[in-house]
Amino acid sequence: MKNVDPIIAIHNVTKYYDRFRALNNVSLDIFPGEKVVVLGPSGSGKSTLLRTINQLETIDSGTIIVDEHNLGDPGEDIHKIRMNMGMVFQSFNLYRHKTVLENLTLAPIKLRKMHPDEAKSLAMVLLEKVGISDKAASYPAMLSGGQQQRVAIARALAMEPKIMLFDEPTSALDPEMIGEVLEVMVKLAQEGMTMIVVTHEMGFAREVADKIIFMDGGEIIESETPERFFENPSQERTIKFLEQIL
Amino acid sequence: MKKIDIGDGAAIPSPDDKQLLSAWWIAFVGTIALLIALPIYDPDTYGAVLAFIPDGIQVTFEVTILSIALALIIGLITGLGRISENRIFNLLASLYVEVVRGIPLLVQLFYIYFALGRIVQVPDIVAAVIAMSFCYGAYMGEVFRAGIMSIDFGQSEAALAQGFNKAQTMRYVILPQAWRTILPPVGNEFIALLKDTSLVSILAVADILRRGREYAASSFDYFETYTIIALVYLLITLILSKLLAHMEQRLNYYEKR
Ligand SMILES: Nc1ncnc2c1ncn2[C@@H]1O[C@H](COP(=O)(O)OP(=O)(O)OP(=O)(O)O)[C@@H](O)[C@H]1O
Ligand SMILES: [Mg+2]
Repeated sequence: MKNVDPIIAIHNVTKYYDRFRALNNVSLDIFPGEKVVVLGPSGSGKSTLLRTINQLETIDSGTIIVDEHNLGDPGEDIHKIRMNMGMVFQSFNLYRHKTVLENLTLAPIKLRKMHPDEAKSLAMVLLEKVGISDKAASYPAMLSGGQQQRVAIARALAMEPKIMLFDEPTSALDPEMIGEVLEVMVKLAQEGMTMIVVTHEMGFAREVADKIIFMDGGEIIESETPERFFENPSQERTIKFLEQIL
Repeated sequence: MKKIDIGDGAAIPSPDDKQLLSAWWIAFVGTIALLIALPIYDPDTYGAVLAFIPDGIQVTFEVTILSIALALIIGLITGLGRISENRIFNLLASLYVEVVRGIPLLVQLFYIYFALGRIVQVPDIVAAVIAMSFCYGAYMGEVFRAGIMSIDFGQSEAALAQGFNKAQTMRYVILPQAWRTILPPVGNEFIALLKDTSLVSILAVADILRRGREYAASSFDYFETYTIIALVYLLITLILSKLLAHMEQRLNYYEKR
């Protein structure tokens, strides 16, 4: 795997919110098809790291290269780059005024200039895949949290992205709905999608991750395979964190 | 859903406000009854006024609809300006709002009317529309601003993350949702504007009030004239508020009941 180029190359990235340093000299390579799970205590910079990858947050120094596009290059069109990266939020953020189907077709039609019929049939395939095709005509407000999050994943997939970013996709869900969302994510992982997942679901991390990143205080403390991370944590902060959550 | 409360103009009866609803019916039925009964009771005065002012009703509506349309456009631009990160655009929009808010509408009307007259010769009704929408555009701008800001930031983030630019995000995601929040206050402004168009009667625009004044000046039936005028305005605003309440309900289609 390591003789191909990384699809995401993060190099010495530092990010401030005003005077608060949220990311401190972070470097990370992610290869095509790799599943990276980001762990760490609250406020450690996990969301910030994820959001710098699609430039929802700008960085103060360092470089981020996504699919050979340097995000810091003023000649790059960030909107085009974002089209190839799906993002799934903790709070779903489905378009409230659009039906489930329209949530999936809006971006492909407007941004990819896909024919509406084609966009619809693609959307139906994806809704089938996340197990929610019977709700195509519903509005988000009528769905449960788990259903909304599955739609949100399908919406991201509708742009046929190369990379999927997940920011605590199950944290806002009732416990009985977490499984249905994780199931969809596992399926996606098996299909070979490149995924970066911030989560507190240790079972998912163990099962799916190729690499676990542990963050604390805006730094990457550890970058390990799940086996080594869970069985032989080397850093003191990691051990403390694992003690607290396991 | 957050409600924008700009307390001005007629209250729009909301479906769960039964008291206001029944107040509406009493007012509505009473107004119609009076508008029928009074002319029968005295056709030479009440009846004559009522026959004299319909042209004015048309003018009032023309001024109102043209002004509100223009004010909505100005308001959208102003609202976008007020939330814009572009310093100059933002400053201009804020300045406009500040200036308009600080000057009485009647003074603005006179000012724009005569200032315009120095530059170009436009029909009175055009001058009136420009003046009204200049003023109401500022209020509308605040309504738009509040409406846009009431939309959860996650909606923008989702759109941006998909690759929409800021303008597309506004157009496809934010404004269609903001519209729902905006409609009730816009409706209120619409009704307030309709009432305020009575001010244009002092410019030579032949609206309801102006027609009434012309009638009264020749007949000296002041009391009867203003009674009918008041009833006509009331009937119009009552009907409008009902229509708006209806529209408001239909716009809620995508929220949980
Ligand atoms: N927009 C912002 N403005 C200022 N500070 C921020 C902002 N966003 C995040 N921060 C701060 O930056 C730090 C890292 O935040 P981040 O959201 O990346 O943490 P996280 O690891 O995702 O935490 P959580 O598990 O709670 O989601 C936190 O201390 C947070 O308070
Ligand atoms: Mg977070």
